[in-house]
Amino acid sequence: MNYMPGTASLIQDIDKKHLVLLRDGRTLIGYLRSIDQFANLVLHQTVERIHVGKKYGDIPRGIFVVRGENVVLLGEIDLEKESDTPLQQVSIEEILEEQRVEQQAKQESEKLKVQALKERGLSIPRADTLDEY
Amino acid sequence: MFRYQSLEDCPLDEDEDAFQTLGEEDEDIDQFNDDTFGAGAIDDDWQEAHERLAELEDKPATARELEDGAVSDEMELLGHHEENLAERLSKLVIENELEDPAIMQAVQTQPPMQQPGGLNSSIWDGSAVLRRFRGPLLTQILCPKPVHIRAPMQQRYPSPYGERMSPNQLCNVPNSSLLGHPFPPSVTPVFTHLQRAQLLGGAQAGRMSPSQFARVSGLVCSPLTSMNPKLLQGRVGQMMPPASRFRAFFGAPPPPAPPPSQQQHPLCPGSHLQNLRPHPQVFRPDTTHLHPQHRRLLHQRQQQNRTQHRSLNGSAGDRAGHRSSHHEQLRKDPYANLMLQREKDWVSKIQMMQLQSTDPYLDDFYYQNYFQKLEKVSAAEEMHGDGPKKERTKLITPQVAKLEHAYKPVQFEGSLGKLTVSSVNNPRKMIDAVVTSRSEDDETKEKQVRDKRRQTLVTIEKTYSLLLDVEDYERRYLLSLEGERPALMEERKQKICDMYDNLRGKTPGQERPSDDHFVQIMCIRKGKRMVARILPFLSTEQAADILMATARNLPFLIKKDAQDEVLLCLLRPFSLVLYHLPSGTVTSLLQQLANLPQSATVPAPANLHLAAVLQNKFGLSLLYLVLSRGEELQNSSAAVELMQDNQWTELMSMATRELLRIPEAALAKPVSTPSNLLSLFSRYVDQQKLNVLETKLQLVQGIR
Repeated sequence: MNYMPGTASLIQDIDKKHLVLLRDGRTLIGYLRSIDQFANLVLHQTVERIHVGKKYGDIPRGIFVVRGENVVLLGEIDLEKESDTPLQQVSIEEILEEQRVEQQAKQESEKLKVQALKERGLSIPRADTLDEY
Repeated sequence: MFRYQSLEDCPLDEDEDAFQTLGEEDEDIDQFNDDTFGAGAIDDDWQEAHERLAELEDKPATARELEDGAVSDEMELLGHHEENLAERLSKLVIENELEDPAIMQAVQTQPPMQQPGGLNSSIWDGSAVLRRFRGPLLTQILCPKPVHIRAPMQQRYPSPYGERMSPNQLCNVPNSSLLGHPFPPSVTPVFTHLQRAQLLGGAQAGRMSPSQFARVSGLVCSPLTSMNPKLLQGRVGQMMPPASRFRAFFGAPPPPAPPPSQQQHPLCPGSHLQNLRPHPQVFRPDTTHLHPQHRRLLHQRQQQNRTQHRSLNGSAGDRAGHRSSHHEQLRKDPYANLMLQREKDWVSKIQMMQLQSTDPYLDDFYYQNYFQKLEKVSAAEEMHGDGPKKERTKLITPQVAKLEHAYKPVQFEGSLGKLTVSSVNNPRKMIDAVVTSRSEDDETKEKQVRDKRRQTLVTIEKTYSLLLDVEDYERRYLLSLEGERPALMEERKQKICDMYDNLRGKTPGQERPSDDHFVQIMCIRKGKRMVARILPFLSTEQAADILMATARNLPFLIKKDAQDEVLLCLLRPFSLVLYHLPSGTVTSLLQQLANLPQSATVPAPANLHLAAVLQNKFGLSLLYLVLSRGEELQNSSAAVELMQDNQWTELMSMATRELLRIPEAALAKPVSTPSNLLSLFSRYVDQQKLNVLETKLQLVQGIR
């Protein structure tokens, strides 16, 4: 809130490190370089962070231009507190493997659930695939 | 370097007769040659440029000073045209607003060689003298399009139309006059003469320096226009990364790395404003985009930034310590400030534009209310305590007068037919939907019922909007002028009458034979709430009438309200009405509640109506209120007639009988038990029954 009290604007956030959560579930971390009136973002030195359990892995992505409508939320990262996390960083391969395992487990449990419900004569309608993560 | 004038003379018209061109082409080429290498060209420039280039690599600092000398020359050249441009642009600003912004693009993609008068006159009127090719760009610049930074900018003839030219893009164009600072020539030494010429040609063809842009549009980028070499340095340092790429492109040796030049000037936000002398702003009276208050605040902010930097550079302030670490980071961040201050202002400007409104109370009701409440609270606090006044800065949005824009779709002279362009402001009819009214013949009972309900709903909605209007009159009254007030009062009265008519159903006859309409409304949740809100506005008779109708139909309403339990909202307004009612009305009211015909004297064994009333929370509460009121009237001196009224006595006895009859369990819990009921009952019943009543109804305080 600079000189416009009562308004919210991303202008003060420029050139700071941010964590951006997208609608498709991805988490991006990067320096916010530019914005516009639609809250389209330009992220610099972006890293896509994948979280599985207590572990996370970073995939460097470079420069991201994110269309504003796909942003769920974003927040500034306190650089001092950034390293102060109980989470453990692992390599990309490892985290991708972990993610795959997790997805598989989820799918299987989902399948079992649907099966059980079918046996009872019930069915849950599939969610819209768009916002599925 | 090309002289400004000479470029303008360059015939770029393409619609010349083809057969004539051969001979003319030779002449043109000659002229081009002349301008480039011959008498038309100013030789010293490119030599100087080379010098500067050489020096640039060795001594960045001294080079700057040399540039400043050349700068003034060029600025003079541009200066003449700036003023002209300024005038024309001023016209453009006004007229631009009339354009449909949603189809701005369409206009700009026009073939450039149209006659100025042919295109939509509002854009081109003011710029008739302006070169055609500049036109579209100007509109773009005045309403800048989204920025996209082009890394290694290809060398090409920039087409001035149909492309999104943004300030930033132009910044990256080598040697563009819009290199993010008003002194393009300072960076010219980097490039060869020809390249510069090409680019300048492009620049003349349609671009403007930010100084023109800033000065003319009156936006708050004017600080950028002040002549300051230091600004230059900061900017040049910033510009080095793209410049280096350009150099690589042209095969020239890369310049010194950015950090050295940047170290001199920390590129923290506002750093480019750091050493600006206070620059008197030219407030254009017709820019409604930034409220003067905002400009002032912006200035303040800039000053604050400046003072912060001073404290940072000079003595150590409390904030300086903290801020220095922040600025340290930014200093080390070579990619900082990719988004220029001008661009940030542009985004803010758009955000502020969205806040412009003709009637903020209407457009932004919740925000206004919220801040009014806050202000009241803080004002109250200030009254009580002598604590430090918390300066709560309030956003002041410009109040724009509502302009009726008659939207005219884009037209071209000499074209057949109209453009099929549809935008948000000019929607096209896509489908021909015909409304077919239902025939009355084959309507079944259900349909009729449904229609009736729909009618009731519509009535409720209409009455509700009347109610909202009436409630708003107080505020309007305060805002209006003296002369308008009687008219406002009249309107208000009329609306209240309309509301009442709506509630009771407009009857042709004198009497209101049926409560049906009213009951229908009362069966709907929203209707009940609305009646509760309307009651305070009605006159006593009207309100009494409503009360009567409610009491008359209470069992039915109770039954209908079983799920909603909204009837209770009516208690408060009802009680308020009751306190104004005369005794006769109160008696009739009780009568209605008990559902006795006026002349009946034979009490039924069980009064079902009353029983239903008693078993309902609302009903019982209402009854209590009525009784309480009656008691009050009895106690007051002027109500002697109530005592003598046989009806009242009858009703009371009936009421007490009923109260006694109904088992306690079935009796509802009233909202509140008036304190004078005990004395009321004591008049009509003997002690034994009184005791029973007491315990049953918990009339004595303390038994809870």
